[in-house]
Amino acid sequence: MIDFQILLEYYNEFPFLVKLAWDFSVVLSILITILIVYLKFVRKHLRKIEVDNLKFKNEYEGLLIEYLYSEEEAVEISEPQQVILEKLKKHVPIKAKRKVIISVLYKLMNQVSGEVTDALKVVYQNTGLIHYALLRLKSKKWYVIAKGIGELTRFKIDSAEDEIKPYLTHPVREVRKEAHFYFVTLFQFEGLSFLDKLTTPLSEWDQIQMLEILQKFSDQEICDIKPWLQSKNDTVVLFALKLANLYNQYEVKDLLMDLLSHENKTIRIQAIEVLTHLYGIEAKDVLKANFNELSLEEQISFFGMLEKLVIPDDEPFIEKHLFHKNFEIQLLALKILKSINIDKYLGLNKLPSNKKSLAMLNLTDTI
Amino acid sequence: MDTSSIKIILQILHYLFFGYAFAAITSYIVLSIISGIETVKYKRKNSFVNYKDILSSAMSPSITIIAPAYNESLNIVENVRSLLSNHYVNYNVVIVNDGSKDDSLEKLIKAYDLEKIDYIINEKIKTQPLREGIFKSKNPAFEKLMIVDKLNGGKADALNMGLNIAKSKYVACIDVDCLLLEDALQKMIKPFLEVTDAKVIATGGVIRIANSCEINGGKLVDVNLPKNLLVQSQILEYLRAFLLGRMAWSRLNGLLVISGAFGIFDKKIAIAVGGYDTNTVGEDMEIIVRMRRYMEEQGRKYKVSYIPDPLCWTEAPDTYKIFISQRNRWTRGTIETLKKHRKIGFNPKYGWFGLISYPYWLIFERWAPIIEAAGLVYFAILVALEELRWEYALSFLLLAYLFSVLFSIAAIYSEELTFHQYKKKGTGFKLVLLSALEPFVLHPFILYAAIKGNIDYYFNKTKKWGQMERKGFSTVQT
Repeated sequence: MIDFQILLEYYNEFPFLVKLAWDFSVVLSILITILIVYLKFVRKHLRKIEVDNLKFKNEYEGLLIEYLYSEEEAVEISEPQQVILEKLKKHVPIKAKRKVIISVLYKLMNQVSGEVTDALKVVYQNTGLIHYALLRLKSKKWYVIAKGIGELTRFKIDSAEDEIKPYLTHPVREVRKEAHFYFVTLFQFEGLSFLDKLTTPLSEWDQIQMLEILQKFSDQEICDIKPWLQSKNDTVVLFALKLANLYNQYEVKDLLMDLLSHENKTIRIQAIEVLTHLYGIEAKDVLKANFNELSLEEQISFFGMLEKLVIPDDEPFIEKHLFHKNFEIQLLALKILKSINIDKYLGLNKLPSNKKSLAMLNLTDTI
Repeated sequence: MDTSSIKIILQILHYLFFGYAFAAITSYIVLSIISGIETVKYKRKNSFVNYKDILSSAMSPSITIIAPAYNESLNIVENVRSLLSNHYVNYNVVIVNDGSKDDSLEKLIKAYDLEKIDYIINEKIKTQPLREGIFKSKNPAFEKLMIVDKLNGGKADALNMGLNIAKSKYVACIDVDCLLLEDALQKMIKPFLEVTDAKVIATGGVIRIANSCEINGGKLVDVNLPKNLLVQSQILEYLRAFLLGRMAWSRLNGLLVISGAFGIFDKKIAIAVGGYDTNTVGEDMEIIVRMRRYMEEQGRKYKVSYIPDPLCWTEAPDTYKIFISQRNRWTRGTIETLKKHRKIGFNPKYGWFGLISYPYWLIFERWAPIIEAAGLVYFAILVALEELRWEYALSFLLLAYLFSVLFSIAAIYSEELTFHQYKKKGTGFKLVLLSALEPFVLHPFILYAAIKGNIDYYFNKTKKWGQMERKGFSTVQT
């Protein structure tokens, strides 16, 4: 007590800044001590969650496999299946357990197909899991809504269409994206109708994901993509170009020709690439005529087109660009010349070194 | 000079040191808070992302992994195997053997059944010429692999050769001894494909320390805390730097450095700025500063992204000699880069980059060791002159120490609540203990290396890269 009194007196004699430093030091020491003690609990808790999750996973996996094997032809849900459903129902209200049940269900859904998938969907609906997913859609937190939509997409719940529709234009990209995926996953090409009015950008990531979803369907009958090729939203046009390429949309060639003069350079380049794929030889003359006005990337893309669609009549144009300032174009021009006039190509080797282009010098060994 | 003048000078110096320390600590607190918010946001955004479609899609963009190698014979075959085991579908690997004097090339030829091929290089960036040439495997299982054997020109030159050779839109520049997790590429490519309102020019990832971790078949199977105190301290240091620092700079779009150990770049921009600078030892920082400067000068909206997931694991120095050599190089790299691009500093033409990022690096990274060393000298002078007021010195020293411990503990929390890599029992206690010890076992050596780096930069211009002795990862048998 006396020692403490001495310390206090000693402290009181300190200048203001020193006092402040000691005060802060005491606060920090207390904070550090609390954090160290709490860290022990945090780590213990995290380890426990992992152990519990593993235990639940094994338990639910067993139950669900048993459920699938208890199927009886005559009835929709057999008696043993009903017992399992009741058992699961009791666990669903607990968040941690619900999370594990969903992940196990989804894992199993990915491993099976056909009727078995439908049986698992019955579990999802009859255990009340769907109810919790729909509740998530009403949350004020964007990530909860996005997770809810994602879950309904994974379990292919088409009845949630009306609830999810408003989220197609949600201000948060993640929510919007999940809503887009929901409609494409469940309604295939028809689900893409949101593109008609889409004003927000569709990222490259989202585009690839949607194309992958579409390609998983057995029915590859594509809808009319013409309106999207004329969209004011550039990302929608880019997506439509990808569709045209992937689904060989020969009937949109005229629109593709129009896109060669689009104000967005990326669209123009992609249009050249799609026309190349669709054998759009009519684009060659247009691009040749405007070659000098094209950006370097467009010029390279056009030479890529010529590499695939070249005819002997193109030779003068090719020759003209053997000494183009860009190495890639020089190289492509040489390759194309080799394919249409091997004698002229071999003749280039006779040029003196100082008259050769960089690409010619590089290709000398292989000529 | 009379006594009162000396006292006034001392008083001014007191306030300068105090002001600097206060500003540094405030900036750390602010950055930690921003990092915390950003990490939570990142985890939320990515908790429901489906990476499977991207990784298997033929439409996903192509990535070339460029890995320079110099005298890496000990682990080269295993390291390449690890790089080839990535799950991403559209990628290839270019190993640039930068004039190695050992048998790296022979080992690679034998292990991967390589044959020499004709390959036309579009030399957009000038590099040292080829030595033995370019090799590809005869075995279709290794069709993604290409080995380039060239004359020695240093790491930057080797990376530039890779940039010339790469045909893909994006390049992942990586240290060959790094262990990449299988899902690293799809996670790192995401920002490039996702951001629609700006051009992402580069993405950096967290570097984790793999010493004592168990590796099997090029895959990380068990994360362990090493026994070596120096390596342990570096783990804590990396956690602080990556989880509490870079995440915030990413949010502020102010990242000036992407670790040379692993980063993905937009190849077109990297080439447009002339590739890596071969005249600096800090080529990883320099290229980012140059790319940013280029975008600013072009008036284009851009972003340098950062992914906090533990995707890349590397071997850290386990002896003080190698550690000091590494940090000495980092210091010289920082000085060279900031000096070369001094035009940016405090220049409103470069926006945030010129007014916030550059000044921060200059004041709190470049000057920090010099000011700290000056502080120590000043402290010694005050003691010698018997002018030191111990009650101030001790109280502030204690406060600074406690803050550093708290900051480390905050980093541990950040790790535990997000990626939770050090799961084993007892590791938490060791990490906490390290927080208390690190200011004594690591910081003095960082300061020493930084001061030596400054001296070497100004008085020993011939000094280049130091040596990093590779011991290899621990491997387990299946």
